[in-house]
Amino acid sequence: MTDKQKFERLLTRCPVNHSPLFFERPHLSRRRFFQILGSGVSGYFVAAPLRAGEVVSRAGVTTQNKAKNVIFILLSGAMSHIDTFDFKNVPGATPSTFAPENVTGIGLFPTGLFPKLKNNLSDLAIVRSMRAYALVHGLARTWMQIGRNPTSALGAIAPNIGSVVALEMEPQRLATQVFPTFLALNSGDAIGAGYFAARYAPFKAEPAATGLRNTSSTAAGGPGVFNDRWSLLHLLDDPLRVRSPLGKPAEDMDAFYAQARAMVDNPAVAQAFMFSAADSQRYGNTAFGNACLTSQQVLAANQGTRYIQITLGGWDMHQDIYDATDGLAPLCKTLDDGLSALLGDLQSSGLLHETLIVMQGEFGRTVGPLTGDGGRDHFLQQFILFAGAGVKGGRALGRTDPTGGFVEDYGWSRNREFRLEDVQATIYSALGIDWTKIRTDDPFGRGFEYVPYAKDDVYGPLNELWA
Amino acid sequence: MKNSTTRQCLLAIGMAACLTAEVQHADCTLFGPQRDRFVRVPDRDLQILSATSSEVAATLPPLPPRSRSGALQSGTGSELDDILFAAMRANGVTPAEPATDQEFIRRVTLDLTGRIPTVPELTSFLADSGPNKRPALVERLLASPAWVDKWTMYFGDLFGNSAVTSQVRRAADGRNAFYHYIKSSLQQNKPYDQMARELIGATGQNSYEQGELNFPVGGFMGGGPQQDTYDRQAADAAQIFLGIAHVDCLLCHDGRRHLDSLSLWGKDFTRSQAWGLAGFYARTQLTRVPATPGRPNPYYWSVLNDFGRSRADYTLNTTSGNRPERLPRPGQSRTVAPVYPFSGRGPNPGESYRTALAREITADFQFSRAAVNYVWKQFFGLGFVDPPDQFDPARLDPNNPPPDPWTLQPSNPQALRKLAQDFIASRYDLQALQRQIVNSRVYQLSARYQGVWNPTWDKYYARHLIRRLDAEEIHDSLVIASGVSATYTLPGLGQVNWAMQFPETANTPAGRGNAVTAFLDSFLRGNRDDVLRSRETSLPQALNLMNDNFILIRARVATPNSLLARSLGQPDDQLVTTLWLNVLSRDPTDAERAAALDKLRGGGSAQRTRNAENLLWALYNKTDFFFNY
Repeated sequence: MTDKQKFERLLTRCPVNHSPLFFERPHLSRRRFFQILGSGVSGYFVAAPLRAGEVVSRAGVTTQNKAKNVIFILLSGAMSHIDTFDFKNVPGATPSTFAPENVTGIGLFPTGLFPKLKNNLSDLAIVRSMRAYALVHGLARTWMQIGRNPTSALGAIAPNIGSVVALEMEPQRLATQVFPTFLALNSGDAIGAGYFAARYAPFKAEPAATGLRNTSSTAAGGPGVFNDRWSLLHLLDDPLRVRSPLGKPAEDMDAFYAQARAMVDNPAVAQAFMFSAADSQRYGNTAFGNACLTSQQVLAANQGTRYIQITLGGWDMHQDIYDATDGLAPLCKTLDDGLSALLGDLQSSGLLHETLIVMQGEFGRTVGPLTGDGGRDHFLQQFILFAGAGVKGGRALGRTDPTGGFVEDYGWSRNREFRLEDVQATIYSALGIDWTKIRTDDPFGRGFEYVPYAKDDVYGPLNELWA
Repeated sequence: MKNSTTRQCLLAIGMAACLTAEVQHADCTLFGPQRDRFVRVPDRDLQILSATSSEVAATLPPLPPRSRSGALQSGTGSELDDILFAAMRANGVTPAEPATDQEFIRRVTLDLTGRIPTVPELTSFLADSGPNKRPALVERLLASPAWVDKWTMYFGDLFGNSAVTSQVRRAADGRNAFYHYIKSSLQQNKPYDQMARELIGATGQNSYEQGELNFPVGGFMGGGPQQDTYDRQAADAAQIFLGIAHVDCLLCHDGRRHLDSLSLWGKDFTRSQAWGLAGFYARTQLTRVPATPGRPNPYYWSVLNDFGRSRADYTLNTTSGNRPERLPRPGQSRTVAPVYPFSGRGPNPGESYRTALAREITADFQFSRAAVNYVWKQFFGLGFVDPPDQFDPARLDPNNPPPDPWTLQPSNPQALRKLAQDFIASRYDLQALQRQIVNSRVYQLSARYQGVWNPTWDKYYARHLIRRLDAEEIHDSLVIASGVSATYTLPGLGQVNWAMQFPETANTPAGRGNAVTAFLDSFLRGNRDDVLRSRETSLPQALNLMNDNFILIRARVATPNSLLARSLGQPDDQLVTTLWLNVLSRDPTDAERAAALDKLRGGGSAQRTRNAENLLWALYNKTDFFFNY
């Protein structure tokens, strides 16, 4: 049964009464919600076996549990799939410099665009039955990061997948670990923690050779000065910080200060976030390369970072997509340099076995000849790439028709197109997180499912990656 | 089981979008890029707003002996205060004590001009024993250039002025032109209805030369038919000038089965009616004109009526783009005439459509209500209707309450009406509105509260609600406190010394990687497009306040003209007072003074210097520096 059929069956079984979506309800704060709940006005969850705050999982699932970390690479703007990882030669259009070669298990691969990655193909699993639901950048980018339709019931309060991971991984965090669990590099517009607490939000940073901004006391005069200042601050400000009369924002800020304090002058921070010119060069000497390099070092430091989001933008090539200075070729070089070095370093450090790498754009781009502007426009068919954490590489899952426009072979057990919700389930499963979990601490009290409709098995992980 | 059925029903809600499987027109800003606005909004606001407690009195600075609260009479007896205090009495809420002079001058200087007061301003105000010192201070602030800067920033946020959005490129030139338009409008204290008419009706050839053109340009939607742009422009006008963001929803679908429990007005409003509003834009053509020959950009924009493809009424002929298909129902005309839904009127003969829309909007009482509510929120952290773009037009009139189970929407409908009436009577004078607000007794209540505060009392404004300073306010207040200026050169604007003078919030004063940009960004100033300004706190904020060079150089004696360079020679006791007045705009408490003196007195002269620097650094990092209370 396809997911579409499952939706339809669900609807027949349980007709939608068009209860207003959450956003159409009068706004209830979490506090007010629980106040009301406490006084028994609400009804639904009070009567239900579920109680607020309880976390339940309805389906007993077996997770892959093979990954400790995730690197999530967002190709912002949407990379053309048929010019890259689902390569189709379009006579008269495709530049000969793309130099496609037939690779066993993968098929045609544009070695001209990815001269380095062609040597990493044995690590990569390319899923070609991936299809987007939306063709609008902002919406689709949000969808990718929260693993659900942003316009759906819980879309507006849903946390970033990385925030869910941060929350789930918190019990494993050691007191000695000082890095943020969720790191977002070159991702200024990354979706935040949704309704989760601020400490699960992405820590947004731009990698720099000089390290993580403002984590050294050198400019202030060294650790002695810094410590002195720190105690003075607490002496003077604790009345406003500890059990603050100014309330939660001031206490949150104090917690952030404590976290920040642990990062200042910490050799682990310096080591993980600083890098040499030679290393940067090895990764292509680009912002993306530096993010890959930093990710690798951060994971090697084992300081509590478990989920890293990296954004590489510029793929929205409506015009002149084959321009040699401004089109696919130079941007693919950036990707090729950074990703191949990342895979190589993770491989040699042994971290690749415990780190799942996921890479995708918002959607794909139109197939066949170029548009009148020499570009490719938005298109639903796309690809997604997985590597690491035991994923069996050197192959493509699923197959598109000769144009690359539609799926001919789904390549997985659900026998339908692969979706962002499935990606989310795959990430959770890889990390050992039960993707069917439902939290009842959401502000609307309707139950926040990690993966929508997971209980009904509408979406699920791509176990074939490991098979 | 009944239960699991209920659960399935809940799961099924919201599936409609998924059922259509491939969503191609879902660009509703309520859920797309602007979703952050709704993420935890009630929670977040409540936490900040109801933050203070009875302990505040003990821990915030003491009432200084020389403080007078006698100046409070200025606001007594105003009708607005009468309404608000009556509501407190009726609900058994005891208001907080009046704010002290020190609290008042810091609060009102930040709220009106985005900076803390200078020490001369502070001391002369405190020394003044005249009965009108508070209104006089307010007049001085309203007349200051800093007032123009702060509110240029505010209206830049509201009107979405930026060089680039996800949809449109105004370029630095267009952004600067828009910035200058807003700024000069505020310098003249242009009536707000006039500003609205100029923005809604803006017509002209060159968006680089005519700033107001950049307002309609902001509604440009690519990748779809012209109607997507008309819809966006109408939705923007409704949200910004009427506070009714639901028009955006209604331009995709009828209100029925979508807005039923949220908007009494919206639940029966139809998409066809919303098209009537968008119809005012149907004859507006946005055209990109190459500014320089050859590729690439920049392009400027022209905004012309009855031009290009926009020469006919709003037509129902689309099946693609960013919103659901627009097709006539059987018997329905293929074109939709412009009709302002709240008056039923359209353009007069010979009147351009947008001129008509501007006339209708500014003649609508809701225009005034929305404007005063937006501004009120800036001073109190909480609008009478909140969020301030969620107005339900059918639940606003206190003389005409809605049927059960609906209730009037504003937390105080009479006060909102009174403010809106006064705003009209003042001929939409923004300064008069702000004068009325900050001179009110209710604005001048303390954030401290004796007794137990119930968070549900926030809406009565019975105590002042605290807020974290905005990015620009932190920057500019650090400049004031330290005396160490900042200078930036911005394209097309020359030298700028205050963050509040930046023409936009994204990539300013320089692009990604710039230290000041990163410092400001950590305070979540947003980008006026898909990232909204926020007053949350964060880990990078803490790192920056402790270690950023912007702070560090301002704590050093060696920095020329810095606070310590000027005051280190003072005796210890005087130095402590100087630091507190410059940074925290208040005297130290006895405990603080004792701790500071203890610190300064240890060791020799070099040690004293270092201790003074440490002390100053600690004050920059104090909670009551980066909050307005």
